[in-house]
Amino acid sequence: MAELNSLAKKILQIRLAQMMVNENYKDGQFKVPIHLAFGHETFAVAINEIMDDEDKLILTHRNIAYNLARLEKLRPVMDEYFLKSTGLDSAKSGSMNLINPSRGLIYTSSILGNNFSVAVGIAMSLDIKRKDGITIVLGGDGSLEEGSFHESILMFKSLNLSGLLIIENNEWSMATKISERRIHIDLETFAKSYNVKYVKLSGNNPLDYIQKLKKLKDLSKKSNELICIEVIVNTLGDWIMTNDQNPDGKFINYHAGPAPTVDVKACPALIKENNSDPIFVLIDLLGVDELNKISDKIRNELEEEMK
Amino acid sequence: MNYIELVNNLLKEQVSKHEQLVIFGQNVSAGSCIGGMTRGLSIPKSGRIINSTNSENSLCGFGFGMMINEVSSIFFMKQLDFLLLGIDHLVNTFNVIRNHENNASFTIFPIVMDNGYQGLQSSSNNFADFCSIARIKGYTITNKIDAEKIISSKLISPGFRIIAISQRMFKDEVIIPDELIYVNDENDVFQYNVGSDVTVVCFNFSFPYGKQIVDSLKENNLKCSFFNVNSTTPTNWTKIVDDVSKTKKIIILDDSKSENLNCYSLLNDISDKVVLDKKIILKRNLDNTNWLDPIDDKMDINLQQIVNDLIE
Repeated sequence: MAELNSLAKKILQIRLAQMMVNENYKDGQFKVPIHLAFGHETFAVAINEIMDDEDKLILTHRNIAYNLARLEKLRPVMDEYFLKSTGLDSAKSGSMNLINPSRGLIYTSSILGNNFSVAVGIAMSLDIKRKDGITIVLGGDGSLEEGSFHESILMFKSLNLSGLLIIENNEWSMATKISERRIHIDLETFAKSYNVKYVKLSGNNPLDYIQKLKKLKDLSKKSNELICIEVIVNTLGDWIMTNDQNPDGKFINYHAGPAPTVDVKACPALIKENNSDPIFVLIDLLGVDELNKISDKIRNELEEEMK
Repeated sequence: MNYIELVNNLLKEQVSKHEQLVIFGQNVSAGSCIGGMTRGLSIPKSGRIINSTNSENSLCGFGFGMMINEVSSIFFMKQLDFLLLGIDHLVNTFNVIRNHENNASFTIFPIVMDNGYQGLQSSSNNFADFCSIARIKGYTITNKIDAEKIISSKLISPGFRIIAISQRMFKDEVIIPDELIYVNDENDVFQYNVGSDVTVVCFNFSFPYGKQIVDSLKENNLKCSFFNVNSTTPTNWTKIVDDVSKTKKIIILDDSKSENLNCYSLLNDISDKVVLDKKIILKRNLDNTNWLDPIDDKMDINLQQIVNDLIE
């Protein structure tokens, strides 16, 4: 229970920190485009929990949850978004390329699929330097359509490099559902054709994620092999758009920019009342009273930090 | 010794000195070893030589990925055309890396297919375009002196660059200039002769043509200053501008097929400071009727006409 409580704090910290970013975003205070990651908090915390000092994390433009998880602070991230010299990367990266090398987060890319091959190079560098670390690279389901996804798996396997290749599948690519644009890609079959072990994760249970990811990381390191993990996420913050073309309203899945329907005052930072929201899962695990208590504490700490 | 033997010898010498170096590329250690370019490369045991997949885009990302984590590498590539697949990394990934401190080296070492008759594809010789797109340092290897200077100073040194060699010159006896008069700090502007009658400046892989012109002018008692610009993006060419301000005459050669030639940047800088008495620009005359055809990639140079032009 103590472990779950500690994880809940971390998950809520990322949720509330993003909500505070979102409030500034709604006020039009940022010049840089930010891709919020409501709904990705539990997986980000799980990745943070399994990372050791020499591990390397390679992300996409939707890196906010992971940056917050690795840093455990909001101010430097917020300052970076405001392009202040006190920002996490001294205002050199903004949002989509934000990195934190001291915490192993060494590359992020806004170009779909670009980061997979960079990850192969980083995995090779760990091998050359005989480091104990592992490379963890994340991409979205849209990146499966890029040639570099195929090329990079081929290279990981041909070079016998360890690594976790993680696909965050939210079934959306910008403003369209994946099924509106292309045929289904069976990632398990795809991975199998390269003799890559495939594992699917879902449910937003932090203990479950951490336990499974730890095992997979150990297996990858031990056997010098790539493991492909598909994690089902719902990028929260959708809204209904009503205009002349859509008088009855059209469902808009969140992609980037402010999330107009997400309210920082929500208790305990809940957005969706189902398992796609990590906070809903925590309520289920810890009870709403306990979660409200933690949420209030974190909220106060973040407000104090941002004063 | 021919051009590719010289390049191969210089590469062998350099790579043997560096620990934790990764050399990669298709056929880099098999088959013809990329036309002999990488034959017999040997590196300390702490490094790796990888006969890689064909995935040029990802191979560029691979090199940058190693660079991010401070491991140096060289990517040898059969054709410059293949590097078109890696443009994303040349621009986007490199931008991220150069915005942060990094001491590793990453060099892409392609062959420019400028030997002609390749067909509609496999004939891009627009090396400057690759470098210009993201202000990448690029170096051409054209003779014994620049090969030694550039490969020894740039092949493995902090940062990213592209060093290109010419397929057209592969089997030719390597040109050995009489002497090196001057080279700038960046090792990308070389001067081989000093003269008061005309300044000859070569770009891309036009050095052999420039050498012919200089020799021909010499036979006609015309004294030339002879420069080669080995960089493909504007560089410190003050020495050239100063020289032209004395001779007031310039011959510029550029054998790239690009629409945007680096030599125009030099001419622009010169026009700010010097009123020229004579300006001869020798570049590829490509019109829509033949530039896509599988034809000879050589420049047509009328030496006698150049001499006559200058004597007039």
